[in-house]
Amino acid sequence: MNKRWLFTHGTEVVLLGALGCLPLAINTPYALGLLTLLTIYGVCLIGLDVTVGYLGQINLAQAAFLGLGAYAASLSVTHFGLGIVAALGFSFVSTFLVGGLLAFPALRLDGPQFALATLSFSAITTTTLNEMEWLTQGAQGLHVTRPDLWGWQFTAAGFYWMCLAILALVWLTMRNLLNSQWGRAFEALRDSPIATDAIGVGTYRHKIAGFAIGSALGGLAGGLYAFNFQYLQPSSFGYDLMIILLLGVVLGGRKNLWGAVVGAALIVLLPNLLSNPVVFRSFALIGVIIALLSGLEKYRQQTLRSFQALAPILAMVILAVGALLIHNTEDWRKAIFALMLFAVVVGLPEGLMGFATRRLAQLFHIDADSLPPSLPLEKVLRPQTQSPQRLLEIQQLKHHFGGVKALNDISLHVMTGQIHGLIGPNGSGKSTLVNLITGLYSPSGGTIRFRGQPLPLGSLYKIAHSGIARTFQNLQLFSELSALENVMLALRDHYRVPLALLLLGLGKQQQTQAQAKALALLEWVGIHPLAQQRAKDLPYGAQRLLEIARALACHPALLILDEPAAGLAHPDITRLVEVIRHIRQCGITIILIEHHMDVVSELCDVVTVLDGGKIIASGTPEAIKREPAVVNAYLGVSC
Amino acid sequence: MQPTIIAQIVVSGSLIGLIYALIAYGFQLTYATSKSINFGQGELVMLSTLFSLSLLNWGLSYWLMLPLGMLFGIALGLFVERTAVRLALAQNSEGWILMTIILGLFFFSSAENIWGRDDHPFPSPFATDPISFLGIDITCQEITLASGVFVIMGLIELLMNKTLLGKAFAAVATDRDAAQLMGISARRIIMLSYGLSGLVSALAGILVAPITTAGPTMASTLILKAFSVAVVAGLDSGFGIVVIGMLLGALENLASFYIGSGWREVPGLVLLILALALRPAGIFGKAIVRKV
Repeated sequence: MNKRWLFTHGTEVVLLGALGCLPLAINTPYALGLLTLLTIYGVCLIGLDVTVGYLGQINLAQAAFLGLGAYAASLSVTHFGLGIVAALGFSFVSTFLVGGLLAFPALRLDGPQFALATLSFSAITTTTLNEMEWLTQGAQGLHVTRPDLWGWQFTAAGFYWMCLAILALVWLTMRNLLNSQWGRAFEALRDSPIATDAIGVGTYRHKIAGFAIGSALGGLAGGLYAFNFQYLQPSSFGYDLMIILLLGVVLGGRKNLWGAVVGAALIVLLPNLLSNPVVFRSFALIGVIIALLSGLEKYRQQTLRSFQALAPILAMVILAVGALLIHNTEDWRKAIFALMLFAVVVGLPEGLMGFATRRLAQLFHIDADSLPPSLPLEKVLRPQTQSPQRLLEIQQLKHHFGGVKALNDISLHVMTGQIHGLIGPNGSGKSTLVNLITGLYSPSGGTIRFRGQPLPLGSLYKIAHSGIARTFQNLQLFSELSALENVMLALRDHYRVPLALLLLGLGKQQQTQAQAKALALLEWVGIHPLAQQRAKDLPYGAQRLLEIARALACHPALLILDEPAAGLAHPDITRLVEVIRHIRQCGITIILIEHHMDVVSELCDVVTVLDGGKIIASGTPEAIKREPAVVNAYLGVSC
Repeated sequence: MQPTIIAQIVVSGSLIGLIYALIAYGFQLTYATSKSINFGQGELVMLSTLFSLSLLNWGLSYWLMLPLGMLFGIALGLFVERTAVRLALAQNSEGWILMTIILGLFFFSSAENIWGRDDHPFPSPFATDPISFLGIDITCQEITLASGVFVIMGLIELLMNKTLLGKAFAAVATDRDAAQLMGISARRIIMLSYGLSGLVSALAGILVAPITTAGPTMASTLILKAFSVAVVAGLDSGFGIVVIGMLLGALENLASFYIGSGWREVPGLVLLILALALRPAGIFGKAIVRKV
């Protein structure tokens, strides 16, 4: 632990110290200008990384937010006479709000639609800034003078130090935020929005918050940008800048604060590197060498497609040949960016710093963070004892898909403390029933009561909060998060430290406790040795058990297991049966959908059989096996 | 305000809107098979147009240039599929968004350096005198444009509905995995869709260039509007994009006339955000049931 702590924090201190001392060594205005720009882009890229890296969406609006922030800061100084701190605060808050507003329509969107929404937002922004001449002076440009800081006039170095201090502050708070439950929620909703809602964490507010925070950092950077250049033009915040910002994040490395700052350094330095032919050629040569090395490595491992090994090399060779032939590199700037981006996206998807941190960790033998000892299970899952009563009551539930009656007048009840089996041939409506109970679908008719209260229908999130948890037939794990983090995320009752204190880094203890609790659950289902593996790298059986552990972390009164044994090998099934029996002993009621009849007869107290959207039989496992209607439904003959 | 002037604005706007529809049709073709669209489609339009212009300048006749220009568009479409889309689809990721943006950037920069940054006039094979109809002037270029759009869309729809290849296309569009199990090569069908998409974008460029002139930036606003049309109409309705395309064309002509020419692009962008917010599947599209 100490080695890792020293390494991560030591490098941060060294970086900050070096950046702070640089103006003392090189004091030319030009170098100082570059350094200032580096810090500004650093803040902006940390913000962009929230959407591009953590939320996993292509965000084409960050340049527009930079522009909005810049204009907000300038106009607040010229019109309201704000000081520099207030002006920066104003640009932060206003872009936070605009970002939140934009996220509202955009939050239903993913992938291409999200990219398009942000693209059109930035086009609208530039048009508006251009056309509202009475306020922004349009294409002529807007002059702004840098206000004093409490009567103290900035020198160039002084302004740089202020920018650096802001970058350091943003770095620290964002590190605290992204390592907390919030950061995990951002990643979770990227991997599976449905599961994020189903464990009660909530997709919408996290998506809005993530986008708003990212945009606000863009706006803050914009404020600094305005006071740095003291002259603004709408056209500087268009598509070109957007590409450059994306280049920074992708090149530096996504989901990585270091990546954002290194990316910022690269995009500040690139124009200078490109303008000198000798530097550019050697730069291209380095690119070819890196591409060759990583291509060779991939070829040796044979883990990847040949395209991934060859295409970056080809792109870099084109760049190198181009560097030899072309003299006016400035004209070809975009093509050069494109080639570099292409090579990095295909060949080095984790970016330069992602690659470097992994390599350095291997080189210096730095292990993953050590984990606290797990808590005893009783402290995680308090045994619930209740008198037998009707926990879940379903009456005349209907669901239609268009004209298809997937469920027709289903009425059943589930008793507290029982394992209630739900079986039926494929397409009989089992999963539809579960999707209705957990709120993924809204029923076409009928009522569901839970603990005597009507369930809030049609909302995964609200139903998760009323005490129902589920697993999914087709796994819905947060594939990029570790097994431990998957479970930690679902421990939502555990997190009580308010956001402000989290940002200050006061969530450490809560985090360790969450780890201990999550570890206890993983131990219980028997996959704790895999705790720090990414969920997508786990073996299939472990993934199924992880889903159960995650659902248990929600402290449900009712747990719905949707075909937990599907595709499992025999030893895994034995373990699964053990686990389910244990869960019942803790007093948790279970609805079990399963095709393995031996599992059903071994575990269930009551079984309900569905066919064609109707209940055809109900009773003990032994009784329903003899029921003619059931035999008919399964075998197609009645005996 | 005289009604004929409004009618004139609406008619010429909606005719230009057909070009947005044609480019949006290119999005629909690739979206159907692979659920991906080329964010650098505008650069395809632009590059094919400039290439065709060079063909004309070398002395080729318009009617010889037309198929060659479209062939060039097909080649570009296939290139995009190979370099920017195929890997991401194999990885089941949305990496194609970034990759097609990158490729578009490369195309743009190449065009700037090969053909220069200036706009060039693009000849049209027909007379330039407008035809007057009920007091509304329609130029021959506009008529060519409209008929070109309808002919190519009709031909492709015919291909889709009447041939075995079209059935394979529909099969891949409905369920890629199931189609592969039936012995249809999804990769080939996706290539076909990207090829066709390149073809229609090349044609769109050639048809619109006599009106807008040809240059590296000719498609940068066109493409935003084509995006709007595709999203507002829905990515699976050929009829819808024609309606929405013409509507948007008329709307922005009106906006630029009444509010000011700088605001020309805004109606499309606002429509796009509204459509995404209110009806992400589009006005003519079908919503999809979430399954787990």
